[in-house]
Amino acid sequence: MDMLGLIFADEHDADVSELTIKRTFAAIPFGARYRIIDFFISNMTNSGVRNIGIVATTKYESLMGHVRYGGEWDLNRRESGLTVLPPFSFYNAEMRYENVLEALQANLSYIEDCKEKYVLFSCCNAIGNIDYSAMLQQHIDSGARFTCLCTKNPIHKDASVPATEYKIDDEGRITDIIIGGLPDAGGYVATNTYIMEREDLVDILVQSIDQNKTSLRKDILKPALGESKIMAYVTDETLLYVDDLSSYLRSNLSLLDKDIRQELFDQELRPVITRAGNSSPAYYGDGSKATNSIIAAGTVIEGTVKNSIIFRGVHIKKGAVVENCVINQDCTIGEGAMLNYAVLDKNVVINDKRLLSGYITHPFFVKSKAVI
Amino acid sequence: MARKKKCIAMLLAGGQGSRLAPLTENVAKPAVPFGGRYRIIDFSLSNCVNSDIDTVGVLTQYQPLELNDYLGTGDPWDLNLNYGGLHVLPPYQAAKGGDWFKGTANAIYQNQKFIMNYDPDYIIVLSGDHIYKMNYDIMLQEHIDNEADCTIAVMDVPIEEASRFGIMSTDPDGRITEFAEKPAHPKSTLASMGVYVFTTDKLFRYLQQDEENPNSDNDFGKNVIPAMLAGGERLFAYLYKGYWRDVGTLSSYWSANMDTLGENPELCLNDDGWRIYYRHDFQPPTYLGEHAHMTNCNCAAGNEIDGTVVNSVLGSNITVEEGAVIKDSVIMNNVYIEKGAVVEYAIIDRDVRVSAGARVGGDKQTHELTVIAAGEEV
Repeated sequence: MDMLGLIFADEHDADVSELTIKRTFAAIPFGARYRIIDFFISNMTNSGVRNIGIVATTKYESLMGHVRYGGEWDLNRRESGLTVLPPFSFYNAEMRYENVLEALQANLSYIEDCKEKYVLFSCCNAIGNIDYSAMLQQHIDSGARFTCLCTKNPIHKDASVPATEYKIDDEGRITDIIIGGLPDAGGYVATNTYIMEREDLVDILVQSIDQNKTSLRKDILKPALGESKIMAYVTDETLLYVDDLSSYLRSNLSLLDKDIRQELFDQELRPVITRAGNSSPAYYGDGSKATNSIIAAGTVIEGTVKNSIIFRGVHIKKGAVVENCVINQDCTIGEGAMLNYAVLDKNVVINDKRLLSGYITHPFFVKSKAVI
Repeated sequence: MARKKKCIAMLLAGGQGSRLAPLTENVAKPAVPFGGRYRIIDFSLSNCVNSDIDTVGVLTQYQPLELNDYLGTGDPWDLNLNYGGLHVLPPYQAAKGGDWFKGTANAIYQNQKFIMNYDPDYIIVLSGDHIYKMNYDIMLQEHIDNEADCTIAVMDVPIEEASRFGIMSTDPDGRITEFAEKPAHPKSTLASMGVYVFTTDKLFRYLQQDEENPNSDNDFGKNVIPAMLAGGERLFAYLYKGYWRDVGTLSSYWSANMDTLGENPELCLNDDGWRIYYRHDFQPPTYLGEHAHMTNCNCAAGNEIDGTVVNSVLGSNITVEEGAVIKDSVIMNNVYIEKGAVVEYAIIDRDVRVSAGARVGGDKQTHELTVIAAGEEV
């Protein structure tokens, strides 16, 4: 496929500061064994993209540790492959960038040096299993200058987090872009995923640097609506949002729904791939009772688990009850402890008989390595 | 620039494993799945890398296709190296003709060139079909301290089982005085585990002699070890006290799988101190449904389970529908067990479908072990 992929690891609209204390947004763990970035890299490689740059600005150590050379996605190639693009590289090298256009400007030299005809660039805010090759095909067939991915069904999108909405005519052409408002019910919500020609992007970046433009949506797309053909690509696939902690919990628990689980993980020829750990199988002890839950390998389950997402290496001891929770990697839940609507970051220890309870709208959050 | 390795491993993985049929019908025994996520060969390979041995020649012969695929470049074991790493060594044709590996010793003999690429002082010869966790480095150190020519790992077995093994007699220093292959009347209970450390030049000398003897079976246990003893070489026994199983039969294969279960399993797989590495097949995590009931079982990834599973080992991509019961069984990858089916005391190979209400096997006190071959529908 003649398309370069760019992924923006940071996400400035969402408010999940609890989960991004030590990691960039794209490195947030999701779905018992993944990180958010896995869905984007997998979507690209499943669509045939063989050259991927990950634009990372801050706190990217855990992200780089996770993707490494991209070997799991067969991106550890002699030609092209996977490149993590740290900040301070080129234009505005003394500044940290805060949005998509600035991130692209900063990596202009990388984009210039690539050879692909098309470029796909995407933020990480909506998790789904999307076939980008179909999006590229529509882009080519429609003769558009820009094609923008959007959905009518943004699951667990939090109303308090600003959205971008597209107004679309009968042919799918975008007629207006409404930035930062509350989308109408049934409106087309942008996912900040775009396809265009790479050389066109390079020209736009050079010009926008000259003219001190900083916003892709406000300064580039909106003014071009009349003269350029900007098309919407409306996906029917499930898109799960991680806008805040509650939406993180709800999007994780959505995986307990069979249809959503299948749309994400059971698509023909489109597996979601993640970094291979080396976990042993999960062990379920004599008194365990685990129902309606997703449980990764390497876990030891001796207590009760209901409606929860359990990551690798978690130990739930005898008599513990874990309900409606997301328990991240390598946590230990002590004997007789009871957790309801809790989100535990990695390596948390909950001592015996502790009671933790939040609510679906206000999950009880425990930060990494805490001992309660 | 000349480079060398102190010690390399030669792993014998050509065995047919005919007593494990039908599990070995289409796959070499070392590539048979084990413990939910592993293949049998993962144990020897992981032992190597955990013992700081980073060069392994894998000698293949029988049904190598799936085994070769599984081994790949050796990356799951970090054996994808520029100098050293994992090398698959099949029999080959050369200018002067070629031959199948005639025996274990002949397999090493035919690959002396490979060995000499690394100019190793010591060679460890292993079998790819045993389940155990062993630090070969400690054994190697003992070999060096004893100034031995060959060190053979042994374990103490019950006297009634001794005649199934190669049995050593030793002097008080551990030096081997006598070796008997499967003796009818064993004089000792020290049984060979098929793990040998050799000093390279001694090994090559005896392999050459063995090759020149037309009456030899070219086998380590039968020919080379007795010849070294007769030649007055220094052979020592290294007593190993941990878990070791030759999963040569279906019932021993079943038992070894069961040994991975329990709060303190005999064979602990969840062991950060001695990890067993394996090749991933990228399954999503397992989902347990509203009616799932898991008791004392191991379960890998990609499963959808809504039935009851007791005392069992489950691989990946397995569906167990509501009301189905699995007990005392080993279930391999890509198995579908429909509503109300009962599987008891059985091994179910890959790609099997057990239809609704079917009954496979029976109580382990009263029934024989049932085995369903790959691809069957029941």
